[in-house]
Amino acid sequence: MVGRSTPQRIVLTVGPKPSREVPLDILNNLFQGFHVIFQPDNILFCFLGVLMGTLVGVLPGLGPTGAISILLPATFRMSPTSAIIMLAGIYYGSMYGGSTTSILVNIPGEAASVVTCLDGYEMAKRGRAGAALGISAFGSFIAGTLGIVGLMIFATPLAEFALQFGPPEYFAVVLLGLTLLTHLSTGSTVKALIMGVLGIVLSNVGLDPIYGSPRNTFDILELGDGISLVPMAMGLVGVSEILINIEQTAAPSILKTKIKGLFPTSLDWRNSTGAILRGSVLGFFLGTLPGGGAVMSSFVSYGLEKRISKNPETFGKGAIAGVAGPESANNASAAGAFIPLFTLGIPGTLVTALLFGALVIHGIRPGPFFIKQHPDLFWGVISSMYVGNVMLLVLNLPLIPLWVKLLKVPYKILLPLILLFCIIGAYSINNTLFDVLVMTISGIAGYLCKKFEYECAPLILAFILAPLLELNLRQSLLHSKGSFLIFFSRPISMVFVVVSIIVLISPLIVPFFKTGKRTASLTE
Amino acid sequence: MNRRLDLRGQFTGLFWLALSIVICIMALRLGIGSLHTPGPGFLLFWSGILLGLLAIVLRLLDYSKKKDKGRTIDLWKGLRWHKVISVAIAMFIYILLLHRVGYLIMTFGLLVFLFRIVERSKPWAAVVFALITVIATYLLFYVWLDVQLPRGLF
Repeated sequence: MVGRSTPQRIVLTVGPKPSREVPLDILNNLFQGFHVIFQPDNILFCFLGVLMGTLVGVLPGLGPTGAISILLPATFRMSPTSAIIMLAGIYYGSMYGGSTTSILVNIPGEAASVVTCLDGYEMAKRGRAGAALGISAFGSFIAGTLGIVGLMIFATPLAEFALQFGPPEYFAVVLLGLTLLTHLSTGSTVKALIMGVLGIVLSNVGLDPIYGSPRNTFDILELGDGISLVPMAMGLVGVSEILINIEQTAAPSILKTKIKGLFPTSLDWRNSTGAILRGSVLGFFLGTLPGGGAVMSSFVSYGLEKRISKNPETFGKGAIAGVAGPESANNASAAGAFIPLFTLGIPGTLVTALLFGALVIHGIRPGPFFIKQHPDLFWGVISSMYVGNVMLLVLNLPLIPLWVKLLKVPYKILLPLILLFCIIGAYSINNTLFDVLVMTISGIAGYLCKKFEYECAPLILAFILAPLLELNLRQSLLHSKGSFLIFFSRPISMVFVVVSIIVLISPLIVPFFKTGKRTASLTE
Repeated sequence: MNRRLDLRGQFTGLFWLALSIVICIMALRLGIGSLHTPGPGFLLFWSGILLGLLAIVLRLLDYSKKKDKGRTIDLWKGLRWHKVISVAIAMFIYILLLHRVGYLIMTFGLLVFLFRIVERSKPWAAVVFALITVIATYLLFYVWLDVQLPRGLF
């Protein structure tokens, strides 16, 4: 059965630091990576990935998480490199495609393009749809490429740093990831925490990681290895999106405007270059934070551009920097999000959590040793991003009229087909209807969660991270003879635990200070 | 409407609280161990406690927000939520009968239902779309990709 595998036991590293090897020759490795990507099957899957990414980005309703969860089972027969190249392509491809619907329909194709609606649609209404689409594509290309450079530069040193991690450090990092994710979620923090706790509870089904005894399986044979991640994610993300779309009554209306002038003018470039560069740097670093992701990056970039602009009043009325900044930020964050995944083995976003699941299914566990143990995969994926970005530029600029036509495909044909692919995908994992049942129940649960404004991302991330959290917590307590001081006696874990505590209590403290200030000003 | 939301808030609060109690009982049965030697139910127990606390906090926040705003939105108004229920029921029937009846017939039936009842396609269009889809997916997944789809009657 393909399910969640039990995490490897991590030996407590106390004592001298591991010896540093000669720094890797980045260019040499990149050359090896290009050798991997230019193999016919890999280049084909890279193209398919970015094509499907653009497609799901363009079509409102089905985001990259839904698409990746639906297509995960299709990657089981591929090599791990081809699988990750394709799935990563869907992720960053959707960041390109998402802007098209934001600009032309005023409906974001995926969540990271919400903010592009503000100025992109305004530009389209003023007859500048071409310029908005053009700067969005060029900005995405530049930021995507800069993000990959950042990934190349920072991933290897961070992986070497992570070699010093023992159970207390791993526990602290996972704890920080979970708290940041719930803190940075778009909705209620309490609801996000509830979903995170629920994810931890669900991860407790299956074998105990230390004693190997079955837990909460209710004598169901299929639950012996735990709840399978893929059908659960397919249900919570993919099927729930389909159900939400089924209940909608209104179809999106496309703005009737002639798309011309896709290549930005020199004035457009002057107004956008700074926004693109700032968005790239900001997006990349926010993308590396657990829970940061593309959505937050785009919003922060928009806020920054508006704040530093000489004409902030033009924002919301068709300012090109309001399109260039956020679109660059969400693409750079897509590259940054791979850093915690590849170096620490900790997915910081829902998409990288699904990629983590895909790697585990292929027998690869991301972590500090990942780059050294699987250089072909790591550098192959990095090189595929360079190639994929070029493909996306070609796909997005000349083919924009085609993507616009795709928006006219009736949902009454599309939705049943997507649902059928979900069913076949879930069934094909283990050739058992139990996985289809898990997917269906998760789909209904995900639908209800969306209705009651509970986000599913913390649940899935906690579900993936909880085995790591539990194992390292229990190992640390065993080692310290039950003392929680072990988390404060080691500098790295202390920093992470203290930051986690600050993040957790900040929602309680910040309103108190704000109220205090307001009261003081009123008294004055 | 406020009364409806109040009931909804109470229901979700009680649901999480009840779930937290169930989780704690399950954890105690597994054995939570001690801090020196944490047992299989250790994390589950503290997760249950945390869930219970969060349920109480959520209820308190919900109550204070309602006092402030007093205005709510209906989650189901103007939406085709009954179609979601019909799709869920169709999915369960599909899962129940798939092994006995087989992929071809069950999937054809499910697709006709989805195209015709849920998305209101014309009868002939629903049948044609369903037929084409079933044959295409059968050829793609069963014949080409070797996915072992249930054969059932055939």
